[in-house]
Amino acid sequence: MTRGSQAYSALRICWFNGLIPLWRSPLLVAAVFLTPFSFLFFLFVIEGPTNPGLLPFGITGGILFSTLFAGNGMLNDCAYLRLERQLQTIFVASPVRPFSYLLGMALSELAFAAPAIGLFILILALVHPFGLGTLLVLLGVIGLTWLMATTLGFLISTFFRQLREIWPIGTLIFSTLAILPPIFYPASVIPARWQWAAFLVPSTYASQLARVALGLSFGSPLTPPLLNAPWFYVLGLVGSTALFAGLASALSRWREP
Amino acid sequence: MDALVAESLTKVYLGRGRRRTLALDGVDLRIGKGKLFAFLGRNGAGKTTFIKIAATLLAPTSGRVSLFGEDVLAHAPRLREQIAVVPQEGRPFFHLTPREHVYEYLRVRGAGAESAHARTEEVIAAMGLEPYAGIQAQALSGGLQQRTLVAMILATEAPFLFLDEPTLGMDPFARRQVWKVIRQATRKGSTVLLTTHYLDEAEHLSEELAVIEAGRIRYRGTASDLKSSLAREVRLEFGPGFTAEELTPFGRVYVEGDRTVLLTRRSAVRELTELALERGSEVALGPVTLEEAFLELVGRPIEEEA
Repeated sequence: MTRGSQAYSALRICWFNGLIPLWRSPLLVAAVFLTPFSFLFFLFVIEGPTNPGLLPFGITGGILFSTLFAGNGMLNDCAYLRLERQLQTIFVASPVRPFSYLLGMALSELAFAAPAIGLFILILALVHPFGLGTLLVLLGVIGLTWLMATTLGFLISTFFRQLREIWPIGTLIFSTLAILPPIFYPASVIPARWQWAAFLVPSTYASQLARVALGLSFGSPLTPPLLNAPWFYVLGLVGSTALFAGLASALSRWREP
Repeated sequence: MDALVAESLTKVYLGRGRRRTLALDGVDLRIGKGKLFAFLGRNGAGKTTFIKIAATLLAPTSGRVSLFGEDVLAHAPRLREQIAVVPQEGRPFFHLTPREHVYEYLRVRGAGAESAHARTEEVIAAMGLEPYAGIQAQALSGGLQQRTLVAMILATEAPFLFLDEPTLGMDPFARRQVWKVIRQATRKGSTVLLTTHYLDEAEHLSEELAVIEAGRIRYRGTASDLKSSLAREVRLEFGPGFTAEELTPFGRVYVEGDRTVLLTRRSAVRELTELALERGSEVALGPVTLEEAFLELVGRPIEEEA
């Protein structure tokens, strides 16, 4: 199969594994909406009246949360199709290359997350209007975050032999990526001497970059000053995405050892 | 020309606590191009491990397998264009219909829209899936889901088809439909390696078979040769009036409901049928079945298997 055919295979996987199920069971989208909207709701109820400036932070958090949880979906779906339904087998033993399968699965997850991401972007545009350039940066951040999360999800999925082990680990990893770091809240609320720790989690770079593009600021600058540099956020996000994509391509177990 | 050659193939699984399980122990095997070859063996004998290695899904511990003259480890991407696998206990996608499964899988493998459409309709009809072709898999019975999965793979007409228990859970009618499509595939030139626990299936379908036990090939040849190779070549089935104990000196005995079955030599037939007539008991004479030959070969008493 040519490269073009491989890319087409990835799109077909997205079609039958993402878009058809989405069309036939639209309630699946609600699962993606539910958690970020709940967080946003609590933020609005608790902090909204006193700090209305925090709302755009929460909405941006919703965008990134929905994108990051595509990685959790990737982890669960890949493990489920491999372990429970043995479907990965029929794609491995076929002309479909690992990259096409991975891309097809990742696009499926993006299809599930897209309605939530789109709605959050729309709400953000209403609450905090922004231009086309900002939208493009935001889409770039979403794209890199999706790639980072889904390659990480696929990589982890290949190491497990039991589905029951996957669910708690997936929740643990993606909660660490999407809830604990400053995704829904400003990094400046973390005590100054611990602010560096937030940058141990790759999703912080995505969040900070989106906020810089949107011109969102809250509280004092971060310490040390390096943590305020946009190039540092770009480097962190691109670097961690390249790292996870590289690891997924090098270490993923396409053939069992 | 051989489609598959396995040489000294060994696989050791390392479990938790460094527990080692020998799944394949120096297996040598050749399968001719265009042949339908059946692999028989009890659960855990090594059949699926062999298929996984040959289908580029699992790395061997030592030894090698080649498909169409190319090593499966060294040339996996190229060989994957020529194979298709029905995995053991596989299940289709929830939201797709049987027609979509077959069509989409063909498209993913690179078939054009027109040929994929034509082939899909052909296979759906041949597999008896027409009445269910538009129903989502989640609403289908287990047997129909399995038929859908098999249809996906057989539709590919790949040069080498690995079918790991393809008719598991299917009714006898469905099994025969699948057999027909498998035979068509070999007529068109595909080589088929099949594993099954249905011995009648192996007997009806395969031109040659191998019996694997504890990771080693114990027999390789035709089903009829396997049956005739046994010391006890005749099967006598007695109605009420005989006990297992009194028949034991004549051969291998097992009980099926109110029937007592004896596998024995031809020389004992006259004596035993006369005895049955004297007692007014029913007796039926026939050849040893492949299942009985298989159980004799792998060496576990039939009653224990039952």
